[in-house]
Amino acid sequence: MRESAQQQSALQQLRQLDTLKDEFISTVSHELRTPLTSIRGALGLLSAGVLGKVDDKAANLLRIASSNTDRLVRLINDILDLERMESGRAPLQIRRCSLRDLVTQAVDTMNSMAQAAGVNLEIVPEPAETPITFDGDADRIQQVLTNLLSNAIKFSPSGSSVRIRTGSDGNNLVLQVEDSGRGVPPDKLETIFDRFGQVEAADARQKGGTGLGLAICRSIVAQHGGTIWAERNDFSGKNTSGTTVILRLPRHMAAEQAAAALAPPECAILVVDDDPIVRQLVGEHLRRNGYQVIETSNGEQALQIVAKQHVEAILLDLYMPGLSGWETIERLKKNPATAEIPVVILSVLSPSSRTADVPQLVSTAQGWIQKPFNESLLLAELGRVLHPGSGPGRILLVEDDEDLATVVISSFQNAETPLGVTLEHAASMAEAEQICAADPPDLLILDLTLPDGSGFALVDWLRRQPKLRALPLVVYSGRELSEAEMSQLRLGPTQFLTKARVQPRDVEDLVLAMVRHIRTPTGDRA
Amino acid sequence: MRRILIIDDEDDIREVAALSLESVAGWQVFTASSGADGIRTAHAERPDAILMDVMMPAMDGPTTFREMQRQPEIANIPVVLLTAKVQGVDQRRFAGLGVAGILFKPFDPLTLAEQMASTLGWS
Repeated sequence: MRESAQQQSALQQLRQLDTLKDEFISTVSHELRTPLTSIRGALGLLSAGVLGKVDDKAANLLRIASSNTDRLVRLINDILDLERMESGRAPLQIRRCSLRDLVTQAVDTMNSMAQAAGVNLEIVPEPAETPITFDGDADRIQQVLTNLLSNAIKFSPSGSSVRIRTGSDGNNLVLQVEDSGRGVPPDKLETIFDRFGQVEAADARQKGGTGLGLAICRSIVAQHGGTIWAERNDFSGKNTSGTTVILRLPRHMAAEQAAAALAPPECAILVVDDDPIVRQLVGEHLRRNGYQVIETSNGEQALQIVAKQHVEAILLDLYMPGLSGWETIERLKKNPATAEIPVVILSVLSPSSRTADVPQLVSTAQGWIQKPFNESLLLAELGRVLHPGSGPGRILLVEDDEDLATVVISSFQNAETPLGVTLEHAASMAEAEQICAADPPDLLILDLTLPDGSGFALVDWLRRQPKLRALPLVVYSGRELSEAEMSQLRLGPTQFLTKARVQPRDVEDLVLAMVRHIRTPTGDRA
Repeated sequence: MRRILIIDDEDDIREVAALSLESVAGWQVFTASSGADGIRTAHAERPDAILMDVMMPAMDGPTTFREMQRQPEIANIPVVLLTAKVQGVDQRRFAGLGVAGILFKPFDPLTLAEQMASTLGWS
């Protein structure tokens, strides 16, 4: 018991450190940007002659000041980006991507820079007949490509070409960006991927890079399970040199990798649909309402995901290549470990159809959403499935400040409550635990401004109770929370409000909206 | 000629943004240094759009926006938020608000008007 308490304390300390670091970086980034805004604004206007023409020498100085301001901004962005990726706070958004489309887009983006430098960007076409596709985060891969092209252009002499070659070797895609610049010395081929590991100190100043571009590329590629490295070009018979940066990525992520890359939360909804647009739309609706979401495009991967981690519910498409929705739900229900997970069918078919085994599906599944759907329908059905029950919604307010509790309670009592909610009040953690253990509420409003951080402890306790793990939660705090803190406070659909920023009426609006998703008017099915 | 209200508690940023919109786009600009002040000015001047900072003491951008939405005379003025907070979690906060758009600091003073026009769907 004592050991476990020590471990808990050590874990708590680590979490606090993590939170501090996260907050620090976020605050610093914001604080640095504010004065830079004025500097950049003032210099930009002066430099462009908006207040009158400036003489050449003055114009040059302004240009220097202005471009270095831009460099500072890029540096802040890169530092923040790299830190967030490496601490896992920027999970990948995985979709099926077309390599050709991404390369074309990158070349379009970098064309004007290339033209200005007198460099030609040449795409060497894929040898494959069918376009190469892969699972990845399109925006992040785009970031890698433009970064590599930018480097290649910067270090290429005018009149030369930068070549982009794409191909695949079985399960991996391979991409090469080749320039004919001065080349990287053999002993620096690895270190250029380190932070601020540019080949020569002068490069940062002259080429305007931040020194973090390749470190960011490496981080992104690693998150995709791939590798990136650089080689010197050996143009035999020619007097030229140059560098080729090669990147190799697995085309299909293993289920564990996909799950890890998506930073699986504890209490998530699994969305299974082969249409990426549906996944994106559903994901957006759910996340906007405080749910955590895991997406996958096929039945096999869905089964692998639920085998490895807990999900609260599954939204399941029917018509999918490979393992269909019918087969997937059959397997889910046959397996005792997954049979209890509520499944909501998401399909163009109507639940009252007599074809395609629909009647049987209706009795096997716990809910049905017919496409096309809208946000309220989606949430109402999901809420109904996750929080079965009837009668007025019970809300528990955990608030130790009596005055504030009075304000919140009276604002609820004075408001229109078409669904009739009952509001209970717990003035301490202990009281809250007692009430929750005896009769789980439908939604919890938690005031987090408690001196000893016991709000976190309450959420941890709730998470360990099977009936309360997916409790909808409204966290009401005195200051903005970091992502790390928010992830510690999530149960079911969780919304975060900051006291200074909201009026009690906003809390009430939000809570009623959430309760509406749990309780439909008695007698109706959403 | 467009009439814009800029709300930001930072004097320098107000000044630079105003100068940018005036001299580059020829727009007419009003300024306010707080959410409360901004609401008063919005009523008085009825601008075509509002460019509003997010992080302000007392009433921040989102709170001011919600308050504006409750006042019918100014509820239809489109609002573009200007923020230095570029992290994903912060953006999600703004997503459900109903503002016309979000621009990031530091902004390019030569294209600020263009960016606003584009976000607002002005030609």
